Amino acid sequence: MNGVAVHSALVCTETHNAICNIHNEATGKDLFISALNLYTSLNHQQVIMRMRLKLKTVFVLYFIVSLLGLIYALMQLGQRCDCRDHAMSKDQQISQLRGELQKLQEHIKTSELSKKTDVPRIYVITPTYARLVQKAELTRLSHTFLHVPQLHWIVVEDAPQPTSLVTDFLAASGLTYTHLYKRTPKDRKLQEGDPSWLKPRGAEQRNEGLRWLREMGAAAKGKEAAALEEAVVYFADDDNTYSLQLFEEMRYTYRVSVWPVGLVGGMKFERPVVEDGKVVRFHTGWRPNRPFPIDMAGFAVSLRLILTNPQARFDGDAQMGFLESSFLQHLVTMDDLEPKADLCTKVLVWHTRTEKPKMKREDALQKQGLGSDPDVEV
Amino acid sequence: MPKRRDILAIVLIVLPWTLLITVWHQSAIAPLLAIRKVCHHLVKEILIIPERLTIHRQRLADDGTETRHDTGPATDSKEYCSQDKDIVEVVRTEYVYTRPPPWSDVLPTIHVITPTYSRPVQKAELTRLANTFLHVPNLHWILVEDSQRRTPLVTRLLRETGLNYTHLNVETPRNYKLRGDMRDPRIPRGTMQRNLALRWLRETFNSNSSQAGIVYFADDDNTYSLELFEEMRSTRKVSVWPVAFVGGLRYESPKVNAAGKVYGWKTVFDPHRPFAIDMAGFAINLRLILFKPQAYFKLRGVKGGYQESSLLRELVTLNDLEPKAANCTKILVWHTRTEKPVLVNEGKKGFTDPNVEI
Repeated sequence: MNGVAVHSALVCTETHNAICNIHNEATGKDLFISALNLYTSLNHQQVIMRMRLKLKTVFVLYFIVSLLGLIYALMQLGQRCDCRDHAMSKDQQISQLRGELQKLQEHIKTSELSKKTDVPRIYVITPTYARLVQKAELTRLSHTFLHVPQLHWIVVEDAPQPTSLVTDFLAASGLTYTHLYKRTPKDRKLQEGDPSWLKPRGAEQRNEGLRWLREMGAAAKGKEAAALEEAVVYFADDDNTYSLQLFEEMRYTYRVSVWPVGLVGGMKFERPVVEDGKVVRFHTGWRPNRPFPIDMAGFAVSLRLILTNPQARFDGDAQMGFLESSFLQHLVTMDDLEPKADLCTKVLVWHTRTEKPKMKREDALQKQGLGSDPDVEV
Repeated sequence: MPKRRDILAIVLIVLPWTLLITVWHQSAIAPLLAIRKVCHHLVKEILIIPERLTIHRQRLADDGTETRHDTGPATDSKEYCSQDKDIVEVVRTEYVYTRPPPWSDVLPTIHVITPTYSRPVQKAELTRLANTFLHVPNLHWILVEDSQRRTPLVTRLLRETGLNYTHLNVETPRNYKLRGDMRDPRIPRGTMQRNLALRWLRETFNSNSSQAGIVYFADDDNTYSLELFEEMRSTRKVSVWPVAFVGGLRYESPKVNAAGKVYGWKTVFDPHRPFAIDMAGFAINLRLILFKPQAYFKLRGVKGGYQESSLLRELVTLNDLEPKAANCTKILVWHTRTEKPVLVNEGKKGFTDPNVEI
């Protein structure tokens, strides 16, 4: 009934005091009736009577409605609360929180990596071929690449068409990638039993990667073309090991940058020797008289240089160890090399090789027709 | 002239309506608020880790311990829940490595025990392993060196990764170390190191603690997918899954029947072992490790391939095994081995600068 008082009070302030005095004494109902008098003429008693009833009901209805609304709202909220905390079992709660956690982590990852859009892009060209350890190698390589912002992975398969293993893997990896394929002609391919150094591997695939880059560079316009001006290209084999520091070192390359590579050339590491900030010679145990006695993992080339030198490519017929030189000698001289990794004193990449897994028992089983399920992807 | 009663009346009329309006407002933005709450919760977690993971500074017989916890992100970078976006923003200042995912109170911790030893490829192996582990939330890396003293190479590497780690060391006595042929299966490698890690866990965590944990033995040359860690997180006792490239096969796996129970082993090499599984093919719940404090890997007289059985048979029976990886049909871990690099050109005196760390 205080609501009535308010109404009448509001009305009161607008009118003169005489009636107000009367109001202060009366009950709510009467107050209301008195208030009503202000709207209607004092002579219409019957009208007043009828309106009294109507207004009374209106007010009763008002209170009922507002109370119901409040209760409904509280129940709504109450229900939500219950769903959240009490009604759900602990397991559900845990999985829900886990889901939220994953969502948050993804937010963090994407916001962190995508924030760095102003750094030069790194295009990593990786030739790969089907073998037992392929999926394992690509998996752990992708784990490293996922930490590097603005990295675009160009995977070139040595195959007549893209394989489902690589296609599915790349789609699930979470990286920005381009999936290409290029078959190595039979005469250039290593046969079973050939030592790994007999023929240079991956030349056609790297050239295919370069071709794609050149095609993309020609088609790019505006902002994209400006981004490509600063981009860097790196040739990463799928069995090497890369530290994250390496990518930050190579990111700002003007022409060709170089650094030491561990576990290559029959030595603990190979490196360019730097004097006065310039590369003067190469410290390597094997054929140091090559134009560029450096491993594929030991240099990065700016995309600009590649786009302005359309004839530069890897020579698949090159002699053993001369593959890198066949590419670099058209692009740069030793004077122009940019030494990285603390003036070539730190090893940030290792030329690791993975053993071929022994399949003696598998082969024996296959002969008996009892080999492992080929549908299970390894 | 507003009178007290009138004011009271006004308030009493208006109050229910304001309550109603705020209630609707709240219900409309409740999801956002939940995230904000979780966001604060995560920030809080990152900052209170040092207090939560204290270790007993006991003198263990032939080793020392060094533990460093995930204070990196909290000390070297700014973290806050921004007002306009309900996500945590981390500003990295020093580390090249991305920090690991924020620590969560809800997820069980995965304690990964890795024995390692000095050889040319050690730093490379640990580097790419760390790159994988940096993607896994709530991971605690227990790295045990096979050496007399903790080497500076490993110490520096662990510090730079920013991972949550414990660095232990114990030297395998000469008669147990492999001589010459590295692939001699009669002497199990890494056994003492794994046992030391188990002992550390038992001394650090008591059975009453509510911290959920999973123990996994990860060798430093294998390859692990990220999915594997999420599969093992729900281990109640011991969970198992297939491993690729072991036993001379494409993969070895437990045999799972229609009821989802393990009844055998799909291997060629001695399938009648109690647990014909590779070290990388199972994970144990920390509670079980603490509950059975006598369970260790057997050091002496263990036949080739029986090392895993020597531990598991003291912990669990075949019936209790939980098959993961889609009832043991998916390969999530590969037993890769890295070739020993041929360092012929180093010569007797070493051709390269010995001060450069590889």
